Amino acid sequence: MLWACILLPQLAMDGVQRHRANPCEPLVLLTGSPQRRVLQAVNPAARALGLKPGQSLTAAQTLTRGVATAEYDLAAIERWQQFLAAWAYGFSAQVSLHYPRCLLLEVQSSLGLFGPWSRFEARLRAELSALAFQHRIAVAPNPAAARVLVNVGDGLMASDERMLKQMLDPLPVERLGLSATVTMAFNRMGLRQLRQLLALPRDSLAKRFPAEVLRHLDTLSGQRPLALDFFMPADVFDTRIELSFEVESHQALLFPLRRLTADLAAYLACRDSGVQRFTLHLEHRAGADTQIQVGLLSAERDPGMLFELTRGRLEHQQLPAPVLAVRLEARELPVFAPQHQQLFDERPQQNQPWEQLRERLRARLGDDALHGLGARADHRPEHAWQHEPTNPLLPPSGPRPGWLLSEPLPMREASLRILSGPERIESGWWDGEDVRRDYYVVQTRAGQRGWAYRTVGSDGPLLLHGWFA
Amino acid sequence: MSDYAELHCLSNFSFQRGASSAQELFERAARLGYRALAITDECTLGGIVRAWEASKKTGVKLIVGSEVVIEKGPKLVLLAENLTGYQALCGLITRARRRAAKGTYRLLHEDFVAPLDGLLAIWLSDGDASALPWLRSLFPERLWLGVELHRSADDTARLQRLLELAGDHDLPAVACGDVHMHARGRRALQDCMTAIRHHLPVAEAGAYLFANGERHLRRAEELAELYPPELLAQSLRIAERCNFDLDQLEYHYPHELVPAGHDATSWLRVLVERGTAERWPEGVPARARAQIEHELALIAELEYESYFLTVHDIVRFAREQHILCQGRGSAANSSVCFALGITELDPTQSRLLFERFLSRERNEPPDIDVDFEHERREEVIQYVFRRYGRTRAALTAVVNTYHGAGAIRDVAKALGLPPDQVNALADCCGRWSSGPPAPERLLEAGFDPQNPLLRRVLILTGELIGFPRHLSQHPGGFVISEHALDTLVPVENATMAERTVIQWDKDDLDRVGLLKVDVLALGMLSALRRCFGLIERYRGTQWTLATLPKEDPATYAMISRADTIGAFQIESRAQMAMLPRLRPNTFYDLVIQVAIVRPGPIQGDMVHPYLRRRNGEEPIDYPSDELKPVFERTLGVPLFQEQVMELAIVAAEYTPGEADELRRSMAAWKRHGGLEPHRQRLTSRMLEKGYTQAFTERIFRQIEGFGSYGFPESHAASFALLAYASCWLKCHEPAAYACALVNSWPMGFYSPDQVLQDARRHDVEVRPVDVRYSDWDCSLEPDEHGEPTIRLGLRMIRGMREDDAGRIEQARQCGAFRDVEDLSIRACLDASARERLADAGALSGLVGHRYQARWAVAGVEEQLPLFAGVSAPSEEILSLPAPSQGEDLLTDYVTLGTTLGPHPLALLRQALRAIRCKSSRELQAVEHGRPVSIAGLVIGRQRPQTASGVIFVTLEDEFGLVNVVVWHDLAERQRRVLVQSQMLRIDGHLETVDGVRHVIAGRLTDMTTMLTGLDIRSRDFH
Repeated sequence: MLWACILLPQLAMDGVQRHRANPCEPLVLLTGSPQRRVLQAVNPAARALGLKPGQSLTAAQTLTRGVATAEYDLAAIERWQQFLAAWAYGFSAQVSLHYPRCLLLEVQSSLGLFGPWSRFEARLRAELSALAFQHRIAVAPNPAAARVLVNVGDGLMASDERMLKQMLDPLPVERLGLSATVTMAFNRMGLRQLRQLLALPRDSLAKRFPAEVLRHLDTLSGQRPLALDFFMPADVFDTRIELSFEVESHQALLFPLRRLTADLAAYLACRDSGVQRFTLHLEHRAGADTQIQVGLLSAERDPGMLFELTRGRLEHQQLPAPVLAVRLEARELPVFAPQHQQLFDERPQQNQPWEQLRERLRARLGDDALHGLGARADHRPEHAWQHEPTNPLLPPSGPRPGWLLSEPLPMREASLRILSGPERIESGWWDGEDVRRDYYVVQTRAGQRGWAYRTVGSDGPLLLHGWFA
Repeated sequence: MSDYAELHCLSNFSFQRGASSAQELFERAARLGYRALAITDECTLGGIVRAWEASKKTGVKLIVGSEVVIEKGPKLVLLAENLTGYQALCGLITRARRRAAKGTYRLLHEDFVAPLDGLLAIWLSDGDASALPWLRSLFPERLWLGVELHRSADDTARLQRLLELAGDHDLPAVACGDVHMHARGRRALQDCMTAIRHHLPVAEAGAYLFANGERHLRRAEELAELYPPELLAQSLRIAERCNFDLDQLEYHYPHELVPAGHDATSWLRVLVERGTAERWPEGVPARARAQIEHELALIAELEYESYFLTVHDIVRFAREQHILCQGRGSAANSSVCFALGITELDPTQSRLLFERFLSRERNEPPDIDVDFEHERREEVIQYVFRRYGRTRAALTAVVNTYHGAGAIRDVAKALGLPPDQVNALADCCGRWSSGPPAPERLLEAGFDPQNPLLRRVLILTGELIGFPRHLSQHPGGFVISEHALDTLVPVENATMAERTVIQWDKDDLDRVGLLKVDVLALGMLSALRRCFGLIERYRGTQWTLATLPKEDPATYAMISRADTIGAFQIESRAQMAMLPRLRPNTFYDLVIQVAIVRPGPIQGDMVHPYLRRRNGEEPIDYPSDELKPVFERTLGVPLFQEQVMELAIVAAEYTPGEADELRRSMAAWKRHGGLEPHRQRLTSRMLEKGYTQAFTERIFRQIEGFGSYGFPESHAASFALLAYASCWLKCHEPAAYACALVNSWPMGFYSPDQVLQDARRHDVEVRPVDVRYSDWDCSLEPDEHGEPTIRLGLRMIRGMREDDAGRIEQARQCGAFRDVEDLSIRACLDASARERLADAGALSGLVGHRYQARWAVAGVEEQLPLFAGVSAPSEEILSLPAPSQGEDLLTDYVTLGTTLGPHPLALLRQALRAIRCKSSRELQAVEHGRPVSIAGLVIGRQRPQTASGVIFVTLEDEFGLVNVVVWHDLAERQRRVLVQSQMLRIDGHLETVDGVRHVIAGRLTDMTTMLTGLDIRSRDFH
């Protein structure tokens, strides 16, 4: 067998950089507590300014100013690893993420398809470069050796055991992938190269070092296999239907759409999950896909509803060009919480369940036309509510009207009777919209109860701010 | 005059709640004509002394009180009617605080079992009347229902409800304001503090913010609009009842120190007589006798005997335990203190006068700080607690106040700025700045000072700076009392277990007239005691601070050469630069030397005039004849804080009381301001008397300089004594002194490596760490001529544990070690200890070089009980290659922090010569103004606050140190190289002035790659 190890030396940085317009701009990734931020990774432009990983942000800022910063995000690294493993899975059935920030591929069996190695390697490099990931590649008869070689140099290849030994023997102990304490111990004994370690009597070595050390040395030389967990592609729904002709009307897309939504529903059912957001891609001969995002307020999987919803969105969509293929991609597949129904639930025909009505309204009127309502802990009435339903801890307050006017209106006071007040509200200096108002509950001659205020210290008219029910 | 007294008001000592200082509150109360103002901080009296002062300044009556929330019970405002009530309040607060973690309190129902006479209560009801019967029984005829209205929606209904409740239960109702700030304008700060307290951004803290800014001291018309007149009038009735004043506190020093049959005066005399007999065995010189009689009379007149007895008792304990100590402070350098052993400074031998330190006119309490060995100070503290008990002895508090960086950090966080920006803003402030950052700094850091959000941050930061943030403990300031302390001031817990802290800081104590004794820690005393011990064991000579030969010319010659690495106080770069100019040759010169390199004299431009006069380059004259006696000892130049005060008395006709006020203002002006009135008074009076404008301005700049690090002559004298002792030892016992310094580390300015390199440059032999000879500490061994050499101790080995070393010492006493196996078994060393010994080269005497040693110790098998005594099967002996010189050097630094081999620069010398870098020795031959290139390890970078933007770099090579001056422009241009290099090459030119040699840098080059891996620790800025 022959193993390629692809080292991704700047995985986190590459992951962030590929989303940024100008890769030449200095960029650093930060970790650490809010009190002590530390540079975890720096790009070449930042390195040129003297920034180094391990520096504190404070130290970095004394050296230079105006460096872009981003979070060193472990979850993102994990996602990119998965992404690249999936990519590698296209070249080999045995892909492993055994070593962090490394892809291990068994390549011998793939040489027939992609080989010879030089061509295969060129293709891997070309694709990784196209994906904008820095990489180094080495090949060896066993995965542990490949991992060690890739640290030593880019493009190294040991095609057999003999060659491998030649390459490994002179390697410094630091490069062997041994733990820091073991490496340090060897160094403190003046033992610098693998060759020197291998020349030591095995039992003397075994007496002085933990068993892993000998095991690791044996694995490197291929005398002991390395147990690997192999990568399995992730669970996402991504299905594509190629149309046999160029479709220009919405009507003709409904059939494949019904198929895709049905497939999705089936897929969701067997996973016992629902979908909250998915994308419909309409592929054209030239130009970017037309993408239709479909978002739901809660996870659903009813095929009829999924179809209706998508249809509603699709019909609002102008088709810029004929469609060649339709693809439905769903990545967020949360657990489905089914609705409880009465056994003998009788529902008039016209009556739609609330969820369905809600989604239909959204589909027809647009996502922004309909939203939930929640409270916010703010003394200013116009800031005391928000679109997302929430349940925060609220300050005590006086009576509040059910209908708040978006613009307060001046009132003719002659006809008003003050029922209670003033309630003084002074708050909001922090966002530049400080208010200082005395609120009164007032009654009009017609008997309506309103909520009106006057700015503290002014003698202008009362401004109507809301109506009580 | 408004007919109202505010009875519920928080100052900023209700941390993160009150948004105004007592001063601000009282000033506004005075403007509004309030009859009285109660300061009722939540379960604390920490701010009450400041409130008392503000009350005296403004003439508004202070009522002492506290707001408390009882666990599972009502919220009350407690007010002290008289001294008994005040004591009851102190007791309650102490109990509530002592049972809770630092900074919190738990007040329980059971706490109210204690007598509450003299304490009035205002009940702040939340509508639940169930606690009423209980409260009534506790506060018969002394309970009110508080009514607090803040223009919320239900004010009318609320008032109605409360009046009904009061009516139903026949309880008088009173209007209160729940005041959190002096004026409405503090609303933003108050919101911000609330957010800080809840660790939330303001925008998300809505649930905790007040709905409006009504919780301030309101005008009479506003109050009349809200409250029925009867409720307002009731506040006056309460205020009239409360007549407690902090003046009524009676403080007594402990009496148990006086044995039966004596009173404090006679007993002090007995102790002093005993002391004089010891100090002057051949009889007391007449001058000393006169001085002692004079001092005793003064002490008796001011009734300070108990204070001196208390300090004497602590010092006596230390002496019995062989803990070295030395007093300093205004009264410490008196003949009485010399006789009592509190100071080793013989006042008859110096030009210091006790009169200057304790005067009957100034009415200032005596102040004696005692420094103890830093490693053994804790023993002294525990002795004090043991001797007087926890109820009668406690530490003073330190009020931690907001500085620039901390304030801006909290405010920016509360305004929702992301952490990175919060940090960047804090960095703009500098470490100890007392103001918000300057706009230029902000622009430089990429902030727009005109941005509305940032302006809010800056305004609030400005308001918050100087506010108290929390109380912490003073490191060693004790208050000791004859009666339980909690009858004087509440006592609370400190962060450290086994410590209790009173709620007042030292300024508060001063004002109320409580005396404190400072039990401080000083590393140099540990080093000196060790050094005396080493000499005694080696030579049998017993030295003490008092017996060291005085005015030794060899010592002064060494000092004048600035050969003072490791000496006390005069070892810093700035001090060393001054020594060859000042060339001290008497003790009083040293006193001046210690005091002159300080912000006060430097900011006042006093240094150069003094040097010129001393060197005869400028005539000595005095601003006026009347000032001659004040400035004579410093050649007409004011250098000491005491001189500034005397000047105020003599030249500006200050009364002693005013001069004392000036002293306090000097110490506090950075925090509170308050120097402006003095500037006007001093200037106008001095101008009137014919002093020049320039002179008064210079004096005033110096006064400002004293503010940050006021350095009085009395402290300088004590420090000079230790500086002289350390220099004498360094001069005459260099081996013992270096050895003691290293054993006392961390302390001082230099690392053990630098101290040892210095010792070796002075021909002291240093021997390597070796398990066969080394103890934990470094020790002295005789060489072939009987001269002492330093044997490095096992403590030098990084990561070595003291108990491992102890077992090695013990095992060695039962016989020399045969081999590594024998050592490991007999001293019970685990793998890590063995490895550290091997790597440090401490096993070379047993198994050879460190590589061989590491291989050998790795082969030592842990002894299992079953196989005890059965030796392991022998193994083939393996011969490993020996380390090179460079490898040894690197490992020496990593494992020991120093090397006994060649200095790193010696190894690089040839390469350096090739690029024409001179060594520090060759530099001695270079003339002034010549271009020069040098290279060395960077062992120090300093940016003195007093030098504008200059950075001083100290380089070390195999021959010594080189001082480099990097001017501001170059430092900015080559910032990276300057900050990051461990080894630097400097191209520049040499400057020599008065024997001080500097290299003025023209270009810096980072040479660190030449010594990759070396662990040279530089002391960075500050």
